[in-house]
Amino acid sequence: MVFDTLVAEFPFLLRGLWIGLQLLAALLTLGFVLGLTLSVMSVYGHWTLRLFTLLFERVFRGIPEIVLLLLFFYGIGELIPMSPFIAAVIALGLRSTAYQAQIFRGAMQSVDDGEVMAARALGLSRLATIRHIVLPQALRRSIGPWTNEYSSELKATSLAYVIGVVELTRQASYIVSNLQGNTLTVFAVVAAMYFVVNRLGNAGLYALERKMAIPGFEGRGRET
Amino acid sequence: MTDFIEFGRTWMPFLLEGVGVTVGLWAVAMVLGFCLALVLVWARVYASKPLYLLATLYVEVFRGTPMLVQLFFIYLGLPEIGIVLDPFTAAAVAIGLNSAAYQAEYFRGAIQSLPSGQMIAARAMGMSRFQALRDIILPQAGRRVIPQWSNEAIVELKYTSIAYAIGLTELTSRAEQVGYQTFQFLEAFTLVAIIYLVLTGIVAQTLDFVEKRTRVPGLTNSGGKMS
Amino acid sequence: MSDTPILSVRNIRKTYGGIEVLKGVSFDLERGQSKIVIGPSGTGKSTLLRCINLLSPPDDGSVILDGVTVEQKGINQLRAQIGFVFQEFNLFTHLCVLDNVRLAQRNVLGRSRHEATRRAMEELERVGLADKLDAYPAELSGGQKQRASIARALAMDPKLILFDEPTSALDPELTGEVVQVMKELANAGMTMLVVSHEMGFAKAAADEVIFMEGGVIVEQGPPSTLFTQPEHARTSQFLQMLTHEHHET
Repeated sequence: MVFDTLVAEFPFLLRGLWIGLQLLAALLTLGFVLGLTLSVMSVYGHWTLRLFTLLFERVFRGIPEIVLLLLFFYGIGELIPMSPFIAAVIALGLRSTAYQAQIFRGAMQSVDDGEVMAARALGLSRLATIRHIVLPQALRRSIGPWTNEYSSELKATSLAYVIGVVELTRQASYIVSNLQGNTLTVFAVVAAMYFVVNRLGNAGLYALERKMAIPGFEGRGRET
Repeated sequence: MTDFIEFGRTWMPFLLEGVGVTVGLWAVAMVLGFCLALVLVWARVYASKPLYLLATLYVEVFRGTPMLVQLFFIYLGLPEIGIVLDPFTAAAVAIGLNSAAYQAEYFRGAIQSLPSGQMIAARAMGMSRFQALRDIILPQAGRRVIPQWSNEAIVELKYTSIAYAIGLTELTSRAEQVGYQTFQFLEAFTLVAIIYLVLTGIVAQTLDFVEKRTRVPGLTNSGGKMS
Repeated sequence: MSDTPILSVRNIRKTYGGIEVLKGVSFDLERGQSKIVIGPSGTGKSTLLRCINLLSPPDDGSVILDGVTVEQKGINQLRAQIGFVFQEFNLFTHLCVLDNVRLAQRNVLGRSRHEATRRAMEELERVGLADKLDAYPAELSGGQKQRASIARALAMDPKLILFDEPTSALDPELTGEVVQVMKELANAGMTMLVVSHEMGFAKAAADEVIFMEGGVIVEQGPPSTLFTQPEHARTSQFLQMLTHEHHET
């Protein structure tokens, strides 16, 4: 019966989900570190850095994820061999870098200039001002838009299917081809798993946003 | 570099033949998504509770799950209940259904950002609900939604590459074919990446132009009130 | 040693967008003295303050703080010695009042957490905010914010404090509490340079008044003289306008 099959196959789906989550964590981390660096460079650095960041964002936002995945795994993989998982982390991570850089840049620019000036007037260096005044506020304001980025990258992990990362969607397709049937059920279950992970992540991030909210400060409404 | 240019000269025509399929798929999906989005947004803003819940569920499900899974569900799953679609149709339906959920959200945001006085004033002048929607609400909401809608259009244009996964011979799949014929995957995928960049660039520029042309003098298109 | 002025401003010039805002401004500030700068808006008063700690570096001229030329080299340590109170308070939104006052003490002066807390408490007590240590800026009234920002400046033990229209962003009923704190500071011997039209402060606590117009100092002198027998016609016109405004509000 459908139910028995599902119970039997569920561990495989969970394994796939686990790989997908690892991919998600790795690519978001890469995107966070590089995105934050790029955004600081573009807001406070030389204009050439700003230009570079804008170009980087343009390029990685203008190319489909699937093409990036194929480009890194088959293309750059010719020169530097890498596993499908690593290729996926880099391809999706760089794309996430472009989106996260934009999020952080906007948030940094929204920090009140007066506070930056006050920090400099007290003798804080540029770097100390960024670290103690700009980033703590900018990162708080980034949580809302970052929640969207989390959702969009969670869904993007399924695309690593095309270069053979055995994540949730590929596990599902293996199961479907083995079973020769129950395709609708299997994909519905897989969809439900993504849905739940998405919801849990969002709930966690909303909770974080509320916890980090500055008392008395009217946060601007989250854009969905 | 000269090698790459030579490579481009040889294979560009073959790749460009895929642009037709990609753009066609995109156009069909966007139109489908747009029409369905109008229904969804009507259900979410103006219809009765059950319809509202149904539309909300639709939007949540399609926004909360990966498009590739939706595509497999439609292309590989639906034949189980006798609905067999060719790759192009399956991809157009999948992208269209997915896009509808996003477009509906953007429209809803734009409509709800309009001052409520607009609808009240229209009804007070004796317009029917439908007339007020058509002549007052939609023209305003439509303008407000253009920036987000352009973004969505570009996202969907990129998403057409997903049809590669079910074997439709569009741009991405042609690039792969070039890769297999020449064993120059890097060049092949770089070339196709450039084509996508140009396509998304053209769409962005065009919609930017439309936004500027349709702007109402004195109204800034900030996409919503600040509360 | 007390003969040398604590602050010496020499021939400061500053051009903004093709307009010369400061056309060679010079004055001295003695230890413990408080001077108030008045003049029509747009005459470069705020720019002058910002030139002193190089928040906006002057195009020409020099600033000497206690015998040391203020220049970009080592500017952060010099700024730490020059308190600055802004019109818009500019408290750090994400930090509670106590941390607002502690941050630069620790980061710039290298004070221990304990020492920074102790100094912060002292100054917050002085400005009457001892009960607001854990409050965030958004939870304070305008007057409380400005008092907190004065405490933030004081806790750095600056050689002088620059006030840039400290009451202009406040509702009229809240200016009193800030002016009161400033008067107490002046009486306690703090060296202050205040850009403000707060006549109450000028008459009660300022040692000297500087009248600026068109990027230059028109005249300066003790309030008793300048307010009653101004030398220049422009000064008396301006003072009349000020009193007129004050009667209206």
